[in-house]
Amino acid sequence: MTNGHISQEDLTLHAMQALSPEEDAGIRSHLLECAACRAELASVTGDLALVALCVDQQPLPDGARERFLDQIAVPPRSVAQRHVESVIPIDRVPARPRAGWLPWIAIAALLLVCVSMGLQIQRLNDKLQAEATLTARLTASNAHAQEVLDVLTAPAAQRVLLTAAKTPPAPSGRAIYLAARGGLILQASNLARVADDKTYELWVIPANGSAPIPAGLFRPDAAGDASVVLPPLPVGVPAKAFGITLEKAGGSARPTAPILLSGAVPASGE
Amino acid sequence: MTQGSAAGDAVLIDLVRGRDQKAMSEIFDRYATMVYSIALRILKDPAQAEDVMQEILLQVWKDPDRFAQGRGSLGAWLAVVTRNRAIDVLRQRRPTESCDEVVLAARTNLASEVERRAMMEKVRGILQKLPLEQQRSVELAFFEGLTHSEIAARTGDPLGTVKTRIRTALLSLRKGIEA
Repeated sequence: MTNGHISQEDLTLHAMQALSPEEDAGIRSHLLECAACRAELASVTGDLALVALCVDQQPLPDGARERFLDQIAVPPRSVAQRHVESVIPIDRVPARPRAGWLPWIAIAALLLVCVSMGLQIQRLNDKLQAEATLTARLTASNAHAQEVLDVLTAPAAQRVLLTAAKTPPAPSGRAIYLAARGGLILQASNLARVADDKTYELWVIPANGSAPIPAGLFRPDAAGDASVVLPPLPVGVPAKAFGITLEKAGGSARPTAPILLSGAVPASGE
Repeated sequence: MTQGSAAGDAVLIDLVRGRDQKAMSEIFDRYATMVYSIALRILKDPAQAEDVMQEILLQVWKDPDRFAQGRGSLGAWLAVVTRNRAIDVLRQRRPTESCDEVVLAARTNLASEVERRAMMEKVRGILQKLPLEQQRSVELAFFEGLTHSEIAARTGDPLGTVKTRIRTALLSLRKGIEA
């Protein structure tokens, strides 16, 4: 450096790529900041162009012009592609006659790529077909489940308890419980009507002896039917029994005696 | 060099931007021999020299914006880019710089064959009159691609002396051309 600028000697060597990488890096960094040194570098590079002119002119190899014209006769690639591949490695310059087999290699490679892509497309189609089949199956299954649920819970559904002849219908309930998911459905029939300030409350009686868990408030319709579907319950609590009590309208934290309906879980159930 | 020749290169580059193959073939006819000769002088291998020549001119075809008028004359720019690329090949290394980095102050326009030959004779005359050690230093750095350290090691001269010789040689060439 001289007076904060790169010396002419170093600029000359930089232009000739005759400095070590470390020296060159420092100069490149300075050039980014210094217009004066960039101008001097351009001047030195102009000198180097003159040096290049002292070489004896040699005739081009036979066919060189035709080879070049053949290359530019190929339709140009897209602008974006040209910018990505802005510097062409020497070893990728299109071949002279000594490498006339290269186009065949390229064609073979292209064919391989096409075959590979075809197989891949086939695999993707197969996978897509399998996914479509699975989706259709799940959709049908879901529709069936929804239909079952609609029938079970529809207010207009007719619920009939079949009993022995001439036996008056008695209040009853059927609880379906899946402890692993905390899922519970109750279908009750022939319940007595309740006063406006009262409600029925369903209870899960845990198998471990802990306090009963409230599982939903409900009121029967005019026919005495009622449903409780998937009330919020903790997951993974095995039950030993279910019970229904009559509580105040807002419900209760603990069951109030008497238990109007109850049912114990069979020994093999959850 | 006439302004007409200078405009000729600019017009050809503009046409090349429009994918005009005839314009590109004119650029080839104008500069391919010069480019090939520089590469051959450095590489001393006709096949490699042609590879470099094809590559450099193909770059002009594919991306003519790499050469802008602000970078100097097309001929001078091609001469420097060719020299640098041939040195890369000689040293079996990847390209050390992008063509975009080569900017030069145009001291001459080489578009005309007649004026190009006249300039070549003038440059040769000036270089031949330089002291032998200066000629040798320029030869080693420019055509053999040695670093100043390698030149010092080969000639046994101090680094500072090598730097000064190269710089002095180029200054003498510049003054001789401008005289």
